[in-house]
Amino acid sequence: MNFLRLISTFIKVNLQMSLAYRSEAVIEVLLDLTWLAWELLSLQIIFSNTVSLGGWGKGELIALLGVLMLVNTFLAMFIWPNTEKFNASIRDGSFDYVLLQPVNSMFLVTFSRITVWRIFDLLVSATLIIVGININGDVIAPLNIFIFILLAISGSLVIYSLWIVLIAFTFWFTKFDNNITILQALTDTGRYPATVYPWWLRVIVTFVIPIALATTIPVQALRGDLSTSQIFIFFGISFISLIIASQVWRVGVKRYSGASS
Amino acid sequence: MPSNSIVVENLSKTYQVPEREAGFSAAVQSFFKRKYKDIKAVHQVGFNIAQGEVVGFLGPNGAGKTTTLKMLSGLLHPTGGNATVLGFTPWQLKPEYLRAMTLVMGQRNRLAWDIPAADSFLLNQAIYRIPDDEYKQTFKELDDLLELAPLMKKPVRNLSLGERMKCEIAAGLLHRPKVLFLDEPTIGLDITGQVRIREFLREYNKRTGATILLTSHYMADVTALCERIIIIHQGSLKYDGGINDLSRKIAPFKLIGVRLADADSHDLSGYGTEVQNEEDADKRYIQVRAEDVTRVTSRMLADLPIHDITIADPPIEDVIEQAFNQ
Repeated sequence: MNFLRLISTFIKVNLQMSLAYRSEAVIEVLLDLTWLAWELLSLQIIFSNTVSLGGWGKGELIALLGVLMLVNTFLAMFIWPNTEKFNASIRDGSFDYVLLQPVNSMFLVTFSRITVWRIFDLLVSATLIIVGININGDVIAPLNIFIFILLAISGSLVIYSLWIVLIAFTFWFTKFDNNITILQALTDTGRYPATVYPWWLRVIVTFVIPIALATTIPVQALRGDLSTSQIFIFFGISFISLIIASQVWRVGVKRYSGASS
Repeated sequence: MPSNSIVVENLSKTYQVPEREAGFSAAVQSFFKRKYKDIKAVHQVGFNIAQGEVVGFLGPNGAGKTTTLKMLSGLLHPTGGNATVLGFTPWQLKPEYLRAMTLVMGQRNRLAWDIPAADSFLLNQAIYRIPDDEYKQTFKELDDLLELAPLMKKPVRNLSLGERMKCEIAAGLLHRPKVLFLDEPTIGLDITGQVRIREFLREYNKRTGATILLTSHYMADVTALCERIIIIHQGSLKYDGGINDLSRKIAPFKLIGVRLADADSHDLSGYGTEVQNEEDADKRYIQVRAEDVTRVTSRMLADLPIHDITIADPPIEDVIEQAFNQ
């Protein structure tokens, strides 16, 4: 319960911070909308030449775009700003204060910055998903929607775990400011359904670099393409990756306190 | 006799630092095969601090002060020895421990830069789970001593260094810690600022009975606040005791200052070692062993055309420097 209370305080404080930089927020929203328009336009061009891409129709790809935007929103709300703060805190030593607070340090590093106004993007991506689904005119079972939401969350947790591992590397290499460039490059591969890619790339995108887990796979669940065992495997993956990440974090923090001066 | 808040036994910290010669070929070599050198930052340091005591922790740069403070606050694991603070082993970082102590580092920021300190304080309230009424009361007490209220609404980046330091210290005290580790809390502040922080710490210690261990480069901080000092040099303990006993033990000397009729014409080397003193240019000072003071003074009074004579302890800075060099 305390965690929830903390998050709500974090949101309050962060809202204050973004109000200090209003114009920045407005520009970011405009940029996001431009990005979206561009993506929709390229989909339009693709589907003026073909009716399906790797077995996916236009509506489904719009829904996928919505999910991709959802993931990007999640990244922009928590991951990017907190990475920036984390790297700065390692550089100037204020990470010491993070460790000395009576709250789990991984939690603090995850939530201390929240770009609250990104909620706007959240609404846009939800709209895209709903519109995409409706273009197809299929009726989607409520169960599939439920599974979709769960898979989207568990997929995001996998990306989150990857992020934790990447920033925890800073404890070993101290100077690792570009720790998330990899993650940034990866999120782009989620733009098209994983089935468009050759099998080997699909394996990489799904399992080695788990972006597809948060994008393609939830949409597949919406289409009812996934078997029950597959769904449970994906839940398992996200659970295991979260455990691995928190262990890497724990060891990293210990390493930090062993080596810093 | 109050119980000990801080117990330190044989505490040691050895760092492994990569080491190489200067130059390109050495750089290439060290890329493939790194050599490490052991640096003993802290070596078998031991002391006890009673509850409510204010102790000054002194030493030149690189002496191991910050390393010791970091071990005691829990940020660093020692490589040897042991320490308990309030019965906790610090580096286990138990939440109960973290809620009972605070570390304030003058050179590091705890407060978020872009928002008013009041909002950062609210964050701390949530993190330390301070009930509303308790928070209000603590804040009122801190406001009493530090006059925080006018600073609370400005973004931290718009505060002066002194104002920010007041807020930093207050932020570290909102959860009413029983043990305070202060690393250079007055660094960079002007004299007025230093005095304010000093007075605050003295009053805070009196009101709450908190134990304070503080390092400072400003001797005045230490002489004003601490009856007891611990001196550490090159990682080892050099002195632990009363600040007033220090000169007697480390440097049993007195300074005799004389104003002479024709100041520069007399040779004082027969009485003791002459020392420079910039503050009082028309006086000349000699340093003599404490037990010789009476004898030397009467000889000087008999031999020299003296207008004025003073006998004093050497400045604490000099004594401590002497302790470092022993």
